[in-house]
Amino acid sequence: MIDRSLVRNIDWALLALLLLNSVLGVVVIYSSSHYLPGNLYFKQIIWIILSLLALLLFLAVDYRKILPYSFYLYVTFVAILAGLIIFGKVIAGTKSWIKLPFFQAQPSEFAKIIVILLLAHIFSEYEINYLNWKTGFLALALVAIPAFFIALQPDLGTNLTFIPILFGALILAGLNRKILIFLLIISLVIGIAGWIFYLEDYQKQRLITLVSPSQDPLGSGYHILQSKIAIGSGGLLGKGYKKGSQIQLRFLPARHTDFIFSVIGEEFGYAGVIVIFFVYFLFLSRLFHSVDKSRDRAGMYIVFMVAMMIAFQFFVNVMMVVGLFPVTGIPLPLLSYGGSSLLTNYLGISLVLNVKMRRFVNV
Amino acid sequence: MDHKSIYEDLSLIIKRSNRAYILVNIFLVFLVFYFWKVQIIDHNHFWNRSEANRIREATASAPRGLITDREGAILADNIASFKVSIIRENCKNFELSCQRVSRFLNMEEEVLKERIEKYEFLPPFKPIVIKENLTIKEVSMIEARKLEFPEIVLQTEPKRFYPFKSFAAHTIGYLQELSLEDIKSNNYKVRSLGELIGKTGIEKEYDSLLRGEEGKYIEVVDNLGRIKEKRTIREPVQGSKVKLTLDYELQKRAEELLEGKEGAVIVLDAQNGEILALANYPTYDPNKFINRFTPEEWIDLINNPEFPLENRAIRGLYAPGSVFKLTVALSALDLQLISDRTVFSCNGRINIYSHPFSCWFAEGHGPVNLTSGIKHSCNIYFYNLGKRLGIEEIARYSKMLGFGERTGIDLPDEKEGLIPTPEWKKRVRNLPWYPGETISVSIGQGPILVTPIQVAVHTSLIANRGESISHHLLKSYFDPLTEKENMVYPVTNENRDGIKSSFYEKITKGMYKAVNEGGTARLAMVEGYRVCGKTGSTQIVSTVRKKDAARPKKEIKTHSWFTGFAPQENPKVVVTVLVEYGGMGGETAAPIAKELFELHRKRHD
Repeated sequence: MIDRSLVRNIDWALLALLLLNSVLGVVVIYSSSHYLPGNLYFKQIIWIILSLLALLLFLAVDYRKILPYSFYLYVTFVAILAGLIIFGKVIAGTKSWIKLPFFQAQPSEFAKIIVILLLAHIFSEYEINYLNWKTGFLALALVAIPAFFIALQPDLGTNLTFIPILFGALILAGLNRKILIFLLIISLVIGIAGWIFYLEDYQKQRLITLVSPSQDPLGSGYHILQSKIAIGSGGLLGKGYKKGSQIQLRFLPARHTDFIFSVIGEEFGYAGVIVIFFVYFLFLSRLFHSVDKSRDRAGMYIVFMVAMMIAFQFFVNVMMVVGLFPVTGIPLPLLSYGGSSLLTNYLGISLVLNVKMRRFVNV
Repeated sequence: MDHKSIYEDLSLIIKRSNRAYILVNIFLVFLVFYFWKVQIIDHNHFWNRSEANRIREATASAPRGLITDREGAILADNIASFKVSIIRENCKNFELSCQRVSRFLNMEEEVLKERIEKYEFLPPFKPIVIKENLTIKEVSMIEARKLEFPEIVLQTEPKRFYPFKSFAAHTIGYLQELSLEDIKSNNYKVRSLGELIGKTGIEKEYDSLLRGEEGKYIEVVDNLGRIKEKRTIREPVQGSKVKLTLDYELQKRAEELLEGKEGAVIVLDAQNGEILALANYPTYDPNKFINRFTPEEWIDLINNPEFPLENRAIRGLYAPGSVFKLTVALSALDLQLISDRTVFSCNGRINIYSHPFSCWFAEGHGPVNLTSGIKHSCNIYFYNLGKRLGIEEIARYSKMLGFGERTGIDLPDEKEGLIPTPEWKKRVRNLPWYPGETISVSIGQGPILVTPIQVAVHTSLIANRGESISHHLLKSYFDPLTEKENMVYPVTNENRDGIKSSFYEKITKGMYKAVNEGGTARLAMVEGYRVCGKTGSTQIVSTVRKKDAARPKKEIKTHSWFTGFAPQENPKVVVTVLVEYGGMGGETAAPIAKELFELHRKRHD
């Protein structure tokens, strides 16, 4: 049961910022998809309602009660991910979707929440002031296993999101220079190996065109170039709601999903961009400031990892649409169309609220 | 636990978290400046780019897959056709353009505008089809004066063509333009507006096989809409070639035999479930309706009192009449309410539940057993069976034997029919079930409704002595991508009702005598071929056909049925005939079946 003092301690401001972002998302999704069949904006509203329900439901369980089970949850999800590779049907070129009657769920999204819980659990018992090799490797291995199966799907975007989660935990544990350098070398090796063995040609092409998008305007530079044109042509005040020529004339790809920020840039201009930046600034500040509002070590890790996860996705996506980062398929959290990513972020925020509302309670 | 000590211990963590937060803010500030550069400083550059931006994705429709009969005769083909479209963004003055173009193409301005309005929400560079099926003369005229009319473009596209016109029209189906409602209904997610999709028949059922994959291009166009560069991403791939189980000769003969009547004929292969013929009359020429526009002929067709568009074989609902006696006999045998030695006496009429019921043969058949009951289609015999069974058992067996539910053949929009029960009557009419109604139902009259395909599939079940096979129209399809001939529908036999095959044997004996020993179906007799059959005649009151003004009003009309199979042992073919207002089944339907049995024997023996 939830007692009244818990409800009083819910961070309503954080919840309000979460919903504000989601509603802004619906407005922009409508503009970028109203001419497509399927009423996507309406589906997004349904997803927001469902995610909100899941968020509230998840609050009822004390996070400290979940932590001891995090390892079993982790094993279950790794098994599901492995199963997908073996039995999964290929949908949209990847194997990451489980077919549900109405919507499709992407289990690799939820793996992020589970990994956050598991890492928080492990590090809550880690009471040395600096990270040692053993724990660093353990954390790396625990992230690498699900990441391996997700890489086989293949889903690069989801995998990248594990980076801020892992680094979040390591930073809090006290990442020293030696380990940092070691990790950088490791990632360089993985990067080179990935370039040779893992990355598809189109992904390599994306990295190349990042350097020079105008080299091949009809090929893989197309997305980045069209997105930059959309944002740049928006100017100070934008072309007006539902009036962006790049969007309405469909020059811009993935308008309602990964490139939704370009829609904002074109139709609402720099003013719209600043509004979104400001809302996100408030949202992220609230998240990072929640770290010292946690009662215990596990709580701090949870809040910090969630904050890092959302901040990372936000920056990667925004940098992607202006051509500062390769096209990786990371959506703009809370604003892009798509139920799985929305639900994951809501569950993440649910964890933060969960930690915060229980900070005064002695159990 | 001492709170203070926890917080001291964790202060290092908070310090680290704050550092990360500062980093986040630095990023944010950087982005604020970077977007300032892109959107304010470089605004003019990008604005010009967006104005000049005419790189767009374009598609080219794929030719639809062909449909052939079982031997490869092409029933649905593609021919090239010209259409002319308007591009709104190339109109300098929209009103003026409409005037000029409508005069040039010799079409009414109102019609043109209505057409454009329908697609107003499309981006202005998308061509909207305004006239199609152009003649060579029109094409050369447009080609000659294209410089005067930059807003219109000539396009070619593959067009559906049915070389045999009305041949198997209901089975093959026809195409129609995807409407806005269709798109909003979400059933055609991947399809685009204005595309032609299968609306009925095989064209609808196997639309996903037939439609192929459209080609994809990227085009660079200048500000006048002229294509400067075109890059192919994917060539269009023609849809699969669909081979049907239909037998051209049998289908053609069936249609000829029906000509001038209203009704349906079905011929099934009793051994592998293939549908060899599925004919309907009256019919229509589907070539006339492969149009984006609604011609007047279409409206005439929809309003025609004889419903030529209706696929009677799978959608026509009729009382089964005496054909249903086979089902009643099977139920009674299976419940052991009778044996083949049970005899009832027929003297032309009988009182049941203090109501008089009569036999069709007023003089009476005398003592009647199972075989002679079927042979002479004696009503009195079956009234007695119905009374012993009761409506609940009749309904249970009917459903078990395939009535009251779709047969599941591969054609869309099949009707279910109706098997009445007391609950049904209570629910729909809010009236109690009268015992007398059970007596009517036992000879296939009353509120019971079946489709010809249900009767045919039911007959196939009897022919196979209870082994049920799935009936289908698709024989195979050829996928041009994999270059493989895919056989579908392996023959699956399953005994689903659990009724002893010896009971079926007894029924077929009666059916054999009905044809070959002077029974009601004697006109279906084929010399030297052991045909088994059953006729039916169902009386309906003519109020059903109020719309028909041309027809003289009669009080009672009779639909005639014949259903049967041949030969008696190891049956090869099932023939079911229904003729609306055909009179007695033995006189109208049975001779049609005879011709088809003969033709099938000639072709497949």
